[in-house]
Amino acid sequence: MAVLEISQLKKVYPGGEAALKGVDVSVDAQEVVVLLGLSGSGKSTLLRCVNRLVEPDSGSIVLDGVDITALDKSALRQTRRSMGMIFQEFNLIDRLSVLENVLSGTLGTTSTLRGIFRAFHQEDIQRALGLCERVGIIDHIKKRADQLSGGQRQRVGIARALMQHPKILLVDEPTSALDPKIGREVMDLLTEVSRELKIPMLVSVHDIHLAKNYSDRIVGLQGGEKIFDQPTSSIEIEELDQIYHTAE
Amino acid sequence: MTNAAITGNPLRDPKKIARKYISIAIFAVIVLYIGKIIILDGTDWERLGSVEEVIKTVLFFVPDFAFFPETVVPLLETLLIAFWGTALAVILCLPIAYMAARNVTPFPWITYPLGRCLIVLSRSTHEIIFALIYISALGLGPLPGILALASRSLGFMAKTTSEAIENASPGPIEAMEALGANRFLVFFYGVMPQIFPIFVGNVIFQLDINIRRASILGLVGGGGIGLMFAQVMQNLQYDRAGTIVVGITSMVIIGEFISNRIRARLV
Repeated sequence: MAVLEISQLKKVYPGGEAALKGVDVSVDAQEVVVLLGLSGSGKSTLLRCVNRLVEPDSGSIVLDGVDITALDKSALRQTRRSMGMIFQEFNLIDRLSVLENVLSGTLGTTSTLRGIFRAFHQEDIQRALGLCERVGIIDHIKKRADQLSGGQRQRVGIARALMQHPKILLVDEPTSALDPKIGREVMDLLTEVSRELKIPMLVSVHDIHLAKNYSDRIVGLQGGEKIFDQPTSSIEIEELDQIYHTAE
Repeated sequence: MTNAAITGNPLRDPKKIARKYISIAIFAVIVLYIGKIIILDGTDWERLGSVEEVIKTVLFFVPDFAFFPETVVPLLETLLIAFWGTALAVILCLPIAYMAARNVTPFPWITYPLGRCLIVLSRSTHEIIFALIYISALGLGPLPGILALASRSLGFMAKTTSEAIENASPGPIEAMEALGANRFLVFFYGVMPQIFPIFVGNVIFQLDINIRRASILGLVGGGGIGLMFAQVMQNLQYDRAGTIVVGITSMVIIGEFISNRIRARLV
């Protein structure tokens, strides 16, 4: 059964650039779906439409039976709490400690007053420590986030997203800011936790080998259109190569 | 291989150099001419008298240190006026900065121009004018002085803070929005840590300046050491005036020393 069902999604940016021209994607429970495409193919826009960091023009996005495109502001905030997002540039709060960054994942459900005084619930702190242990940053929890290396920073980003008890992980080019070896370690970690915690993942990637090695299904995007959508086991590297050939 | 079209040094275009020196020369002539009118012609040289007389007058100001104990309380009052004025400005500048930062302002068509207007109003008005307004409304004393300093500091702090907010990296803000935090927490976590060093630096800078500003507020009745200064000058007690000047200077130096220490520790 599909956890996330995106249909006929369209987005034109104010400059007139059509980023998405009616794309359908679905993500099943416990499935890792890779959005494969070059920069400008619309994969980041698609991910950002799912939690409406970017407002889609038309189409529908249904998460767990709820149409996200129809939500008002406060209902959208509620729904965002169940979607963990992991970013290319990590988007950590540099001047806060690693542990505080992980705990910031609970800010959707923490009261404003507790948030201001960083008075996080004891059970959240325990769970944050457990996640730090799991992603391999437990030795650094007191360091400021900007003191970590890129790979470690992305691990903090993963822990922060997992803190949300997400129904789905939206992962935007998680390895582009990292060197290849560290990038593979991060992808290993992501796919492992996704399986362990049974959280489906929608990952955007521009590298065909990463796509092939770390996914259950690959959706190829080109110029805002879907050019293939197949289980990873039935697709050859040569077919994936299409994304490098422009439509014209 | 050299490009035949470029001869000589392309960074030294003779036309540009000529233009530069001509503009410097014109500027210098204007400055000197204005100087002649307002200083040479505008001063009553007869009344100034000889060099000995000038020195004699200056010597009237040699501090009378027996008077010093009487200046301590007004000096402390001045310090407290500066402190309270700055504290009030710190609190009031945050909502204004929030409104005047293009990337976070809640209703761009209303709150952004409103925030900018308040900043311009505060920055374009001198603290003495603010003090006169508050004194006519509230009477003499330190309170109008405090309000005057707060009103004056507000604009500068709101301006630098709103610029820091505009320059904040959008990444953490996006991350906080994506996890469903409310508007306030998005600002508190996504923006505040990023602007913190700049903000603290500006608060200390304003405290520094406000100590200086507070010392003249008394001239118009705003409390503090300025009031005492105005009195002794009217009574022609120049030695006491000298003591007060020494007192103000020491206070400013001590203030600068303390603010440097705080800055080094916090930022």
